Amino acid sequence: MITIANLYPKELNLYGENGNIKALAYALKQKKIKYKIINIDKENKLEFNKYDFIYLGSGRKAYLDIVKERLKPYKEDILNAIKKEKVFLVTGNALSILEFLDLYEINYYEERKVSDVTATCTLCNELIKGFQNTEYLIKTTSNLIFNIEQGYGNNDTLMEGYTYHNLYVTSLIGPLLARNEKLTNFFVELLTK
Amino acid sequence: MKTLAIIIGKITLIFGKILKRGSSLPGKLALFIDKDILKKLKYPEIKIAVTGSSGKGSTSKLIAKVLKDNNYKVTFNNEGSNLDWGIATAILKDCNLYGKITSDALVLEIDERFAKVIFEKINPDYLVLTNLTKDQPPRQHHVDIVYHDIIDYLKPNIKIITNMDDPYLRNIEKDTNNKNIYYSIQKNKYSYKTQIFENLNIYYCPYCNTLLKYDYYNFEALGKYHCPNCDFKYQTPSVLGTNLNLEIGTISINDKEILIGGNMLYHAYNTLAAYTILKELKLKEDNLVKSLNKYNKILVKEYQNNNITFYPISCKAENSTTYNQALFKTIYDNRKKDIIIGWKEISRRYEHFDVSWLYDVEFELLNNETINKIYACGIDKDNIKKRLILAGIKPQKIITSDSIDDIKEKVLKDKIETVYGILNFDYIEPFNKAFKEEEK
Repeated sequence: MITIANLYPKELNLYGENGNIKALAYALKQKKIKYKIINIDKENKLEFNKYDFIYLGSGRKAYLDIVKERLKPYKEDILNAIKKEKVFLVTGNALSILEFLDLYEINYYEERKVSDVTATCTLCNELIKGFQNTEYLIKTTSNLIFNIEQGYGNNDTLMEGYTYHNLYVTSLIGPLLARNEKLTNFFVELLTK
Repeated sequence: MKTLAIIIGKITLIFGKILKRGSSLPGKLALFIDKDILKKLKYPEIKIAVTGSSGKGSTSKLIAKVLKDNNYKVTFNNEGSNLDWGIATAILKDCNLYGKITSDALVLEIDERFAKVIFEKINPDYLVLTNLTKDQPPRQHHVDIVYHDIIDYLKPNIKIITNMDDPYLRNIEKDTNNKNIYYSIQKNKYSYKTQIFENLNIYYCPYCNTLLKYDYYNFEALGKYHCPNCDFKYQTPSVLGTNLNLEIGTISINDKEILIGGNMLYHAYNTLAAYTILKELKLKEDNLVKSLNKYNKILVKEYQNNNITFYPISCKAENSTTYNQALFKTIYDNRKKDIIIGWKEISRRYEHFDVSWLYDVEFELLNNETINKIYACGIDKDNIKKRLILAGIKPQKIITSDSIDDIKEKVLKDKIETVYGILNFDYIEPFNKAFKEEEK
């Protein structure tokens, strides 16, 4: 049984980002893999050892800051979960939330970065299609995910995202998994290894 | 410079009239000559600005029509755009060479991101705020940005007419000292107890951030709410709509039945917004009701062809709330139905290809046995299909096509009782052309 934890969907709910959860759930169902989705709201306790896939999506700026403060006390739990190869997917401006893990740095832009995105990556053999609508991008230029053909990369480069163990952080929305089937399958394989 | 700007603007207006070409050019030229022209004019005593993510066009039009019907001379930007050129053009028409607007009332439909400019230059007495919802994400980004673009620039004299049913709009009370005048729709036969929509604008109390509780929902986050932790709650509005009947398109105010101009919930809310400002202007209730009923005849309604009932619903692409209202309508219609979804283009403003808003639309509501087939049409047919599949709809129920014309024969041959068109406004005409007999 795969446990998918969708973190704070009442606060991080811009740009139809729960489409990523729908796409992942659909792919698991197609492969007849049992799963359950837990929507974690601010009233709920976090238990990272019980989750296999942890998702954070785009939110309004006020909520990004609130969620970041809420998660800070869990820093060690999150880092331990990452080292235990739990799968984390962080999309859109939610990349700013996990900055406190001190794994990567971010840039803030007064003028939001808005663009269609096409990109390639080593995770799957598919031209990735997505969108960016964010006030934050990753600054760090190591541990990259995407080669950007169209769109914005980390720190004015043409490379985007950040990965460490099974933590995947990207500014791409779309929703990313709903628009990219092979990338979704990559995550399914990761979860069923 | 002011007089020159007015003269040039007026000459351009005359040429436009001779050439039978309406445009925002007169306003553009006047603003080019004197960029502060709008600040220097003498406005009528009544100045109303109407804005919101949707409904601002039809609401402002209704306000202007009713005022005219009650012998007010009205200046209204009904022809030009809702940005500065269009507004300046409308105002120049009714302005004398001394810069005095010779009408009794100024009614302006304004783009929500442009409100701050109008507040500074024209300083309206009233702001009718129809709603603030998810809308045009590549341009508006998110609702807080639009909210602050309006609220942070409000002058203290501006009275705000808005919707009590939306707890998000109650932020205005918290963040400003402006007077708020509210309207609301009472619990009705379409209200529901358990939330059926996801990704709402507001879940938590604007004051203490506790999860809001609802006695009932009218739609999305609209309803009768209260905070279980503090005093924040729905309060009795100035204008309360009762006995909502979307089948015949009516609502009652003070026991008087009023036509709402359509069969959708937003028609009712827009009518209440117009009623509230007009009541505030002290129009006699009987005259107000009479005028509203004169202009609020249903514009779009179902029609028959080949023993099938066709029902086109005009939505606004990139605005998930308008699509949710259309889907909401289909779920309390128990007839067997086909659904056609589509549009020519997502946006006329920019070339971005953002389909994220499709995942803010609750297509899961179509996952019921009254639905026969769903046709995904136009440039986004594959993205619509993908969204429908992820909503749990069986792939064999979904048919894609490049245009409505391509599916016309199949729809007519299938003879399913009802066909809903859930369409961007640019697809209403192709839908009617295909299915409405007299328009063939």
